[in-house]
Amino acid sequence: MTEDEFTDINGKAISLQCQSHSNFCREFTVSAPKLSLRRIMVYTCSVWLVAYVVFFFTQNTAVLSSAIFITLVGMMLHIHFVKIDHETLLIVGSLGVQVSSSYASGRESTTFIEMSKIKDIVINEAIYMQRVIYSLCILLKDPSDPGAVSTVVPLFQSSKPRLNCLVKVYRSCQEILAQC
Amino acid sequence: MGADSGPGAPSAVPWRKVLYERQPFPDNYVDRRFLEELRRNVRVRHYRYWGVVREAGLVAQQLSCVAAFLTLWWYMDQSQLSPSTLLMAGLLFALLGYGLYEALGASRGGGRTRLADLQSAAIFLAFTFGFSPVLKTLTESVSTDTVYAMSAMMLLAHLVSFPYAQPSPPGSLSLNAALFASVCLASRLPGALHTFAMLTCALLVFALWPCLLHRLRDRAPWGFPWAAALVSLGSVAGLASLSPGGALLLAVALLTLTLLCPLLLVRLQRHKDNIHGPWDEAEIHEDLSHFLQ
Amino acid sequence: MGQRKRAAIRDSLANQIMDGITLGHQDSPKHNICMVSDFFYPNMGGVESHIYQLSQCLIERGHKVIIVTHAYGNRKGIRYLTNALKVYYLPLQVMYNQSTATTCFHSLPLLRCVFVRERITVVHAHSSFSAMAHDSLFHAKTMGLNTVFTDHSLFGFADVSSVLTNKLLTVSLCDTSHIICVSYTSKENTVLRAALDPEIVSVIPNAVDPTDFTPDPSQRDDSKITIVVISRLVYRKGIDLLGGIIPELCLKYPQLHFLIGGEGPKRIVLEEVREKYQLHDRVRLLGALEHKDVRNVLIQGHIFLNTSLTEAFCMAIVEGASCGLQVVSTRVGGIPEVLPKELITLCEPTVSSLCEGLEMVIARQRAGTVPPPATIHSRVRTLYTWRNVAERTEKVYDRVAKETVQPLHRRLHRLQAHCGPVAGCIFAFIAVLDFLFLLLLQWLVPDSVIDLAVDASGPHALWKRSGNRKHSV
Repeated sequence: MTEDEFTDINGKAISLQCQSHSNFCREFTVSAPKLSLRRIMVYTCSVWLVAYVVFFFTQNTAVLSSAIFITLVGMMLHIHFVKIDHETLLIVGSLGVQVSSSYASGRESTTFIEMSKIKDIVINEAIYMQRVIYSLCILLKDPSDPGAVSTVVPLFQSSKPRLNCLVKVYRSCQEILAQC
Repeated sequence: MGADSGPGAPSAVPWRKVLYERQPFPDNYVDRRFLEELRRNVRVRHYRYWGVVREAGLVAQQLSCVAAFLTLWWYMDQSQLSPSTLLMAGLLFALLGYGLYEALGASRGGGRTRLADLQSAAIFLAFTFGFSPVLKTLTESVSTDTVYAMSAMMLLAHLVSFPYAQPSPPGSLSLNAALFASVCLASRLPGALHTFAMLTCALLVFALWPCLLHRLRDRAPWGFPWAAALVSLGSVAGLASLSPGGALLLAVALLTLTLLCPLLLVRLQRHKDNIHGPWDEAEIHEDLSHFLQ
Repeated sequence: MGQRKRAAIRDSLANQIMDGITLGHQDSPKHNICMVSDFFYPNMGGVESHIYQLSQCLIERGHKVIIVTHAYGNRKGIRYLTNALKVYYLPLQVMYNQSTATTCFHSLPLLRCVFVRERITVVHAHSSFSAMAHDSLFHAKTMGLNTVFTDHSLFGFADVSSVLTNKLLTVSLCDTSHIICVSYTSKENTVLRAALDPEIVSVIPNAVDPTDFTPDPSQRDDSKITIVVISRLVYRKGIDLLGGIIPELCLKYPQLHFLIGGEGPKRIVLEEVREKYQLHDRVRLLGALEHKDVRNVLIQGHIFLNTSLTEAFCMAIVEGASCGLQVVSTRVGGIPEVLPKELITLCEPTVSSLCEGLEMVIARQRAGTVPPPATIHSRVRTLYTWRNVAERTEKVYDRVAKETVQPLHRRLHRLQAHCGPVAGCIFAFIAVLDFLFLLLLQWLVPDSVIDLAVDASGPHALWKRSGNRKHSV
């Protein structure tokens, strides 16, 4: 098992963990940095300050209680649905690929793609927001026409690692794909 | 022959403006003959001062028509002019004008007979007379200021959009604007008969008079300046009886239009700088429609 | 596409990244060229094929070339064409006539990203009708890149719209490093429109692929004389004149046939003429033609007729002559410069003059005094080749690469001095805003976090080495 430091497309540090379970089973985990306490503090404080200013002019205590309520609910929603802690790509030769992303709250969402459906794994270029970025993608076969590609499944969508990280994952994956 | 090989030694072969030959000159070579086919002011018209003045007279007389119409309206509004007098005068002028129009027209085009003309006139008069009480109360709920402002705008639109190049028949926008303005103004008059008289007068001034003037210009060009001058003088005189200051302003405006503006046009011609050359889109001067008829 | 790309990346991506930049030992410097225009495939036309052919020849000469255009319907993102020609279809809003809307700023983030990741050294914009081309020139100058502009069209000076576009062209070209025009007439026109120094304007004509347009006399029917017209059926191409010529000549010469390829709003004129004179069997309207079908139509004819009212460089007459046809054309724009006198009959843009010219050629054709198609073809084939165009364009790039791009303060000075007091100030202000916007972008996304793209063409191209290796899953 190895762990390397890379950056994502915005220059923030991420880490790639490669775990080789056997010759044809590998697991890659891209972990984003943890929620920083300072950012939470800044957001919470700013919401509360605004609430206090409103309270100062309206003299209505409901404003304060709703501010507390909003920050709590917002934080919970954020860690449960938005903030992804790490994304895992588990590739097992002859079996398939499992893609899972786990949220900061511990919730996980997992999809599995059978090897028979996978045409290939490639690094693709895509226009994302106002940028052109590289991303790792799984190409799925078109059931009606085995030569064609029906869907492209992008990987590591939330952490968006840079090219050097993608290349590392890509080469490992290709080693396994070549075996089967 | 690269872009950077420089002008180099003067070559024995002269440069030619052709692309099919590889010439011993760099691609960015600029010959002495560069832009020699440039022509300036090819199709500039040279205006004669009095010719332009004559044409400008049309603009001036149209302005005078508007002034004369407003003067008449003012007298009606003050009840210093009875509707019957205006109607009689209108009838007289209409008959005179019709006679003149017929006399000038060598052949009757469009197959309209006198009966048809009479029919149109009768229909118009009957309908206007019948509807004048309605028109009288049309703008009662609108404030007077609004009506005046609207009329001013519409008369201005009439003057701007009047087809001075071919004044017959008056363009639909200019005629409609003028009639709208007269309906607005007429609805402010004291009685229904006043409204009727005013609208008839408007039709004479804005619809029929330009037609007559156009025919006059076509058939009797010598008479046109006199007619324009007569109308201008008449309107200035009429306005003078109402407000001497206004008459002075109108006279100045008319003089500027007829004398000063043409002078400017002729004088500023020499500053014109039009560029022509082989890059201009060719124009098709022939009439190609006969191939399709 | 995915197949080839994957193979390429698999085999040598890492090598390239490890090696860093390995310098090739070539005598002439190689450039990273970015062609920008709103007009590119799947749109079809002169500008589109010019960009494509020029790019192919530049790649062949070892340069790295990418093309940037706007998204066409479903065709967006990054695509590769023949010989690893990379095309960016950027998602920008199309406003009118396939030209994008411009706000001067909104395209900067994407264009900057493309320029940085592809390590572009020369930005080459095409066509004065393309807003994207002007935008990219503006941004490239802000980013300190060398710029080249190719003007493909002629413009008058008379009407209001040309006054406005000429002003914009003045602003856009006043600090562009070099301008390329397709004919001497076009150069005169551009120099006047944009008030340029003629020294920085080069004339490099368009070209045709002579192998695509070879004669084949067996395809024509020599019992009759066929006149071929291939152009869009629009006013500027003089279709009204054609509508006058057809009845005039068809009445005189019973064995004369017309073959008309192309589509457009003026088709109705030709249909009416055909209807009125009952010429259905002698005037054939073929509708829109694909580029590959053009030759098949051309070789059926004896005479090629061009009735354009304005033309910077007429590719159609070169194609016609290349197929061995006698060319009759109007004497407008750059047309007199294109073909030598013995290959073309020039007429004034009137029905009578064109009929006269055609009758002369018909008489020669009947007498059999015209040179055989093969002779004409061999004469034309060497006149205009894309290789020659690429060579001369390369020289422009070399020259431009030696120049330094004006820094911001000099640029502002030049804008104010060159473009008039009002427009100059406005655009100087916009240039400053553009520069500030660029600084903001560089702060948000520093150049160092933009991944450099893997070269598909050029000296460090990966595809040449491994593009044809087969890969099996």
